[in-house]
Amino acid sequence: MNYLGHILVMISIYAMLGGSLNLVAGYTGLPSTCHAAFYGLGAYSTTLLMMSAGLGFFSSLGVSIVVTGLLSLVIALPALRLKGDYFVLATLGFQIIVVALFYNLTNFTGGPNGIPGIPIPRLLGFEFDSVFRYLVLSSIVSACGLFVLWLLINSPFGRLLRAVREDELAAASLGKNVPRLQTLAFAISAGMAAVPGALFAGYIRFIDPTTFTVMESIFILSIVVIGGAGSFWGPIVGAAFMVILPEALRFLELPLAAAANVRQITYGLLLVILMRFRPQGMLGEYKFE
Amino acid sequence: MLLLQLLANGFVIGCNTALLALSFALIYNTTRTFHVAHGATYIASAYACYLFLIQMGWPLIAAMLVAVLVGASLGVAMELVVYAPLARRNASMLVGLLSSLGLYVALVNVVALLFGNETKLLRPGAEASYHFGQVSLSRIQLIEIAAAAIILPIFVILLNLTTWGKIIRAVRDDAPLANLIGINVPAVRVWVFALGSSLAAIAAILTAMDVGVDPQAGMPVLLTAAVALIVGGVGTFEGPVVGGFVLGLLQSLVVWALSVRWSNAVTFAVLIAFMLFRPGGLVGRRLRLEETQ
Repeated sequence: MNYLGHILVMISIYAMLGGSLNLVAGYTGLPSTCHAAFYGLGAYSTTLLMMSAGLGFFSSLGVSIVVTGLLSLVIALPALRLKGDYFVLATLGFQIIVVALFYNLTNFTGGPNGIPGIPIPRLLGFEFDSVFRYLVLSSIVSACGLFVLWLLINSPFGRLLRAVREDELAAASLGKNVPRLQTLAFAISAGMAAVPGALFAGYIRFIDPTTFTVMESIFILSIVVIGGAGSFWGPIVGAAFMVILPEALRFLELPLAAAANVRQITYGLLLVILMRFRPQGMLGEYKFE
Repeated sequence: MLLLQLLANGFVIGCNTALLALSFALIYNTTRTFHVAHGATYIASAYACYLFLIQMGWPLIAAMLVAVLVGASLGVAMELVVYAPLARRNASMLVGLLSSLGLYVALVNVVALLFGNETKLLRPGAEASYHFGQVSLSRIQLIEIAAAAIILPIFVILLNLTTWGKIIRAVRDDAPLANLIGINVPAVRVWVFALGSSLAAIAAILTAMDVGVDPQAGMPVLLTAAVALIVGGVGTFEGPVVGGFVLGLLQSLVVWALSVRWSNAVTFAVLIAFMLFRPGGLVGRRLRLEETQ
């Protein structure tokens, strides 16, 4: 039961990560490769607020959403002036710089040793201390986050983002402030990525820089692309698929060391095959064209 | 004294980065493919050399030649199986980039599955070192400098002065137009993938002999090459060479002034600054931001 619960917790975390990236990559057409940086900023800021400022889990989460959203402007403002693969490279650069900061600002982040002993999240005296209890917490928080996302993409704001994605020039000619829309979408998406960051930190109760690397950013982007960019359910299905896939491979009874490699080989090839034959992913509508 | 030694090391790194940046630029400038899987070619050829040289005990020259061939074939295979069909479909650059990321992840893990995750050394025992005043360089470092000193000028001359170079530059400047005047664009693409991948293989083997190789080494190397290309000047073949040396020296200065832990962060901060304020690079024509697509 704990095993199943663990898988569901991870799906809820990755669904929220994929969903928040989808707002930028799928709906606005900006394939950002630094989502793991925001995931990490959310995890670190929540942890530091809980452990140093003594705030509770939920108030820390609230503050860290705002902090991460604001920090994302550091890269959003310059990177959004760039197009195509320059944008991808700029966000990738930001990702690498943030990981270097996690490693090097040892006073705050503990450097490569990470931060152990993160307190268990609690609400009104109720401790989410077992896998099952944590599943309740993470699925409710993620569901709330995804509901906010659903409201956003079905609002006039969401419609504008899709208009910008399809034709920046046309949107601008109708008097829409394209850079402002893109920046706003980027900041909201980054702030939302702080939620799974906090959930991860409270669940594993240990964070270190290796969780938030470039490869994790690529993994999150693949969740969006494989599930279907620009579709609300796409990243949720993508997250479930990508988390369950390695567990399914477990039944092949590979040696433990090989399992991680086989999982990565599978998702790498899947990405190649989908891009060739179905660039909109399983459920998506946007083809990155 | 320490600074001089660090600058010398930076120059050696610069030689390698210049080779890699040129290899990446051959492919990127000509085919407009952001070939992330180039990092996998790099890893695969270093490991191929390890397989033939250390595990199978071949003579050095034979092992290196076959490893370069492995790299070239891998690059060509990726072009034929993955990129060429995408180009025929007129897929966007991002679709190519995402496919390339997938290829990279898959190939690197195949290498890790076959050889394990730990660093492999390609030379037995310590290297002889030579002293020049206050600076000392190992034999393999001198070979790295020699390789760059031979290969880089040859390529710059070939690309600028021969018909063959003219064809590549024509495809780089306007592939549809090149096609119209009878240049076989798909064949040129295969050629640049073969050449670029062999160059990457040479750099990979030399670096692996110097400091060893591990399966995850490809991504940072590839990114440094891409940064060198942008800092030097996208669309040129001299730019990445200049950019490679600038980055190599810059990284050694960062080691001297701060610490090796900051070298990645500084590299990418420089990249972002260049993309914003001088998108044409050091060598390239002055571009406006809007022209970079």
